[in-house]
Amino acid sequence: MTAIASNDTARLQHQRGIERWQLPLAVVAALVVGFVITAMVSDEPWRAYLALTTGALPDIRWSDAHGWEMRRWVRFGSVIEDAITLTFLGLAVAIPFRARQFSLGADGQMFLSALAAAAVSLYVGGPWFVVLPAAFAAAVLTGFAWGLVPGVLKARFGANEIVTTLMLNLIAVQFYRLVITQVMRDPTAGYLVTPVLPAAALLPGLLPRTNVTAMLFLVPVVVVAAGLLLSRTTIGYEVRTVGVAPAFARQVGMPVGRAVVMSMALGGAFAAFAGLHVSNALLKRLPVDLSPGMGFEGLVVALLARNDPKAVPVAAFLYAYLRTGAQAMERTTDVSREVVLVIQAFIILFIVSERLLPTLVPRKFARWLGRQPKGDA
Amino acid sequence: MSADSVAILTLVATLAVAVLRAAAPILLAALGGLISDLSGTINVALEGLMLIAAFFGVIASVHAVQWFPGLAQWIYPWIGCAVGLVAALGFTGLLAIFHLEFGADLIVAGIAINILAAGLTVFLLVALVGDKGSTAGLHSPALPSIQIPGLAGLPVLDTLLNGEGGAGHHVLVYVAFMSVALLALFLSRTRYGTWLRAVGENPQAALGAGIPVKRVRYVALLASGLLAGLGGIYLSMGYLTLFQADMTAGRGFLALAAVFLGARRPLGTLGASLLFGATGVLATQLGAFEMPTQIVYMIPPFVTICMLVFAGRSLAGSGRRPSARISNPTEPDTTTRSSA
Repeated sequence: MTAIASNDTARLQHQRGIERWQLPLAVVAALVVGFVITAMVSDEPWRAYLALTTGALPDIRWSDAHGWEMRRWVRFGSVIEDAITLTFLGLAVAIPFRARQFSLGADGQMFLSALAAAAVSLYVGGPWFVVLPAAFAAAVLTGFAWGLVPGVLKARFGANEIVTTLMLNLIAVQFYRLVITQVMRDPTAGYLVTPVLPAAALLPGLLPRTNVTAMLFLVPVVVVAAGLLLSRTTIGYEVRTVGVAPAFARQVGMPVGRAVVMSMALGGAFAAFAGLHVSNALLKRLPVDLSPGMGFEGLVVALLARNDPKAVPVAAFLYAYLRTGAQAMERTTDVSREVVLVIQAFIILFIVSERLLPTLVPRKFARWLGRQPKGDA
Repeated sequence: MSADSVAILTLVATLAVAVLRAAAPILLAALGGLISDLSGTINVALEGLMLIAAFFGVIASVHAVQWFPGLAQWIYPWIGCAVGLVAALGFTGLLAIFHLEFGADLIVAGIAINILAAGLTVFLLVALVGDKGSTAGLHSPALPSIQIPGLAGLPVLDTLLNGEGGAGHHVLVYVAFMSVALLALFLSRTRYGTWLRAVGENPQAALGAGIPVKRVRYVALLASGLLAGLGGIYLSMGYLTLFQADMTAGRGFLALAAVFLGARRPLGTLGASLLFGATGVLATQLGAFEMPTQIVYMIPPFVTICMLVFAGRSLAGSGRRPSARISNPTEPDTTTRSSA
């Protein structure tokens, strides 16, 4: 905590200058590691990597018959779809991180919010201006409440939030499956899935043949709201202070417990937007086997964005771009798309390695978890 | 003893055996988690390390036949086991180096290793086997089971010690339960065990007392990787005899919870692992009664949370304010202590 005071401005600026270069460096280094691993098993690593890095782009072509033509919109559409979900999940992870809370609960919050949104969409009839706000409200309240639980457990009982959020994820996913299997199942469908949500509850589409919807317009609103929440509100100030200097926050009588609880609950509210995006825009009905694990991808987005809400959409777009490129790569070459998980893992490792890329996120993460590199330095 | 009571006892023994077998992989990984946690460097990559060992164990035991032709058949699964463990150790080493040398946050790096393991195993599965789901086509071998002879006259004991078919328990089931005793002895009776706990309790003081903190943490992390690896190998070369994508199915995370649920003690961890194993068995048994299995699968995480709350309550009773604890309670939190 005294480190900030002792740093003079020039050095901080110098650090920031280097930081700007080292984040791309971490991404490039991870891509190189991924390439080395790809080259070990693939006959055509260069072609595979070309597909990975350009496969998500729309194709612009000239033909005599049609003039200029943009192709492969579907693929680029899926980048945008993915980026929207990841932006919300990134915010859901970043907000608790700012209070130095290691909440991994975005997954469960997303599942339950999607369920709540789908339930309201199915069982509350009426025109869109009734159903949609109701679905949003249900999702956000659900996410907020499910985020509140680990927050209260931490603040009131000192329960480790990593364990509680992981356990709450398991409960949430099982509850989601239970409800879909037992209550919301569409008996006419050949597999376990809810009925298709009514058209009034679906967000209007923007790009034909894709699931890019009006949710796209909500992204900047939510991102700005998250930024303002942290920078302009009392609770945001408390969250940031507790994250940077918990001892100071306690000494000046800040409600530390409340900041902890609120950071996690607000994170849940942001995860709720991801849930609603999945149910009412992407899938339009919820299958029982919706795969868990997206929350961890929110983690890589939050880390890439250094927990800054403004940077979250950029990080989300970058990662969605890679994921879609990986799908293109899998279709056209002998390399499977899971290589992108390897790249993701190394991006994380390189970003959080303070001494490997020394000035990258210096002390920030150490302070943020209270884990100074211990004893051995 | 009447025939009825023998039948009932045999049924109980059958269930007990099922619980032991379901608990063994969780227990192995949980003991690994315990060692790492006691040294102050909790290994959250247990899940991924299990997957890595399970995968490389199967692949190596199949390929060993081509690499070393002409060996006795029983040697190949052991070669696979060794390669799987080396792989798990390698990835644990990666985690340890990134944390201890490069200053990476341990938890974030651990999650990265989990992601790496999930991705790399499927990636290599496609590249080496050409299948995205499992190695079912490879006919990989299993490690042997240990059959205790001469129990044919005692049906209940025979079922308990040799399993339902009388084939005996998998060798790693024995390893798992013996590890509990070995670990308890190691922690309480050996100098290195004391060092381990000292490093976890207060690294500064341990360093001051001349304990090589970094080396202890390396060893603790590697030991956790070894144990998690054994758990993974049991899954792919015992519980099943193939590798499936994501075959650990959250057992590594349950193992992590078992450490906390077991109050960071070997016996407690054993009890928590048995509880998790029992709920798994219960879920499959209840599946036959049209009881939703999802409800049963909610029990272990729910119990874990309740136990953490209970532990927190007793903490509050002893005069410390848990609401003042900001950082991870697994870590010695010097700021809280100095200001509280």
